[in-house]
Amino acid sequence: MTALLAQTTGLAAGFTTEVVLFIVFAGLAIGAGIAMVSLRNMVHGALMLAVNMLSLAGLYLVLESAFLSVVQVIVYAGAVMVLFLFVIMLLGVDRDDLLVEVRIGTRVTAVAAGLVVVAILGYGLVGPYTGAASTCPGQDGGVPATATPGSVACVGFADTLSGLEADGAGSVDIIAVPLFTRWSFPFEMAALLLTVATIGAMLLGRRSDPDPDVDPAWAPSMVLPERGPDDEDGDAFDDAFDEGDPDVSGPRHDDEPVPASVGPAANDDSVGDTHAGEEA
Amino acid sequence: MPIGAYYLVAAVLFATGLVGVLIRRNLIVLFMCVELMLNAVNLTLVAAARMWGGPDGQVFVFFVIVVAAAEVVVGLALIVNIFFRRGTLDVDAQHLLRN
Repeated sequence: MTALLAQTTGLAAGFTTEVVLFIVFAGLAIGAGIAMVSLRNMVHGALMLAVNMLSLAGLYLVLESAFLSVVQVIVYAGAVMVLFLFVIMLLGVDRDDLLVEVRIGTRVTAVAAGLVVVAILGYGLVGPYTGAASTCPGQDGGVPATATPGSVACVGFADTLSGLEADGAGSVDIIAVPLFTRWSFPFEMAALLLTVATIGAMLLGRRSDPDPDVDPAWAPSMVLPERGPDDEDGDAFDDAFDEGDPDVSGPRHDDEPVPASVGPAANDDSVGDTHAGEEA
Repeated sequence: MPIGAYYLVAAVLFATGLVGVLIRRNLIVLFMCVELMLNAVNLTLVAAARMWGGPDGQVFVFFVIVVAAAEVVVGLALIVNIFFRRGTLDVDAQHLLRN
């Protein structure tokens, strides 16, 4: 890949393949990002974000990180964007009518703040990171960069990658070896995090119509009031979500007396009161 | 290419996401802008990893992608719940933690 990026055949002077690919992908990424922020149709905005992420995958490829490029395409441009589009179309909110309500002063201030951020970051970058020494070796006609005073010399993957490719391995080994040795515990934590996120999304994604009378098996997505031993008929649960309407509480077993502290009259408007009543 | 060019692109993308967070009021668009900012930081990390020739930046990007995927899953589920309960995605209308 290094040789491919450094080739200049048929290109104008000063333009290696890396430069051309960088210009194309960076322009696409920035244009798609600005379009995503400014487009009013949310489906179009999501598609622009997909273009942005695919362009970033191209930039990763130019940066000789083939594994991350593939991961970016699969995870971001594939899974995450499909999820975004699915939610937008599920909710039927493709027109963002809130955009026109933002005041013009807010927009001007926000754009000015963004320009200030770019200016500050660029001011820190222009000195050490844009000189000739920070051009990575193997990318500039095969000549390794020599550090000049006040600059940062780029090391690059050239030696590592060529050594790995001599062994028949690719750039995956660069990330795989430390991932499973030095960073194995964070890797396990990432697996745990994904499991927890899956379970959380399953719980949050249930039907959330607050109508437990129609479906007694329904449980609210986020809040489950604890049912004490004296509350087996579950009316504390009903009362917590009936919004102060005790007449429509759920089916009640009459063989057990309802304690007055958790009855509808005591707490018909607050979850916190329900807990307080159970503990009393 | 000097590695600073990639940094500048990442800075522009980050600022774009920041402007989006500031001027948009739709929850889903805000979420997409946060994703844009995460991607900008990822680009910085990948560029730095190549510059220093080490793998740690790429490993970190891998973890950022994992955490962002989990964040998107849970966040979108929360957004769907909020929309079904409130009927709006306006962030200025979200000021209650219950009901």
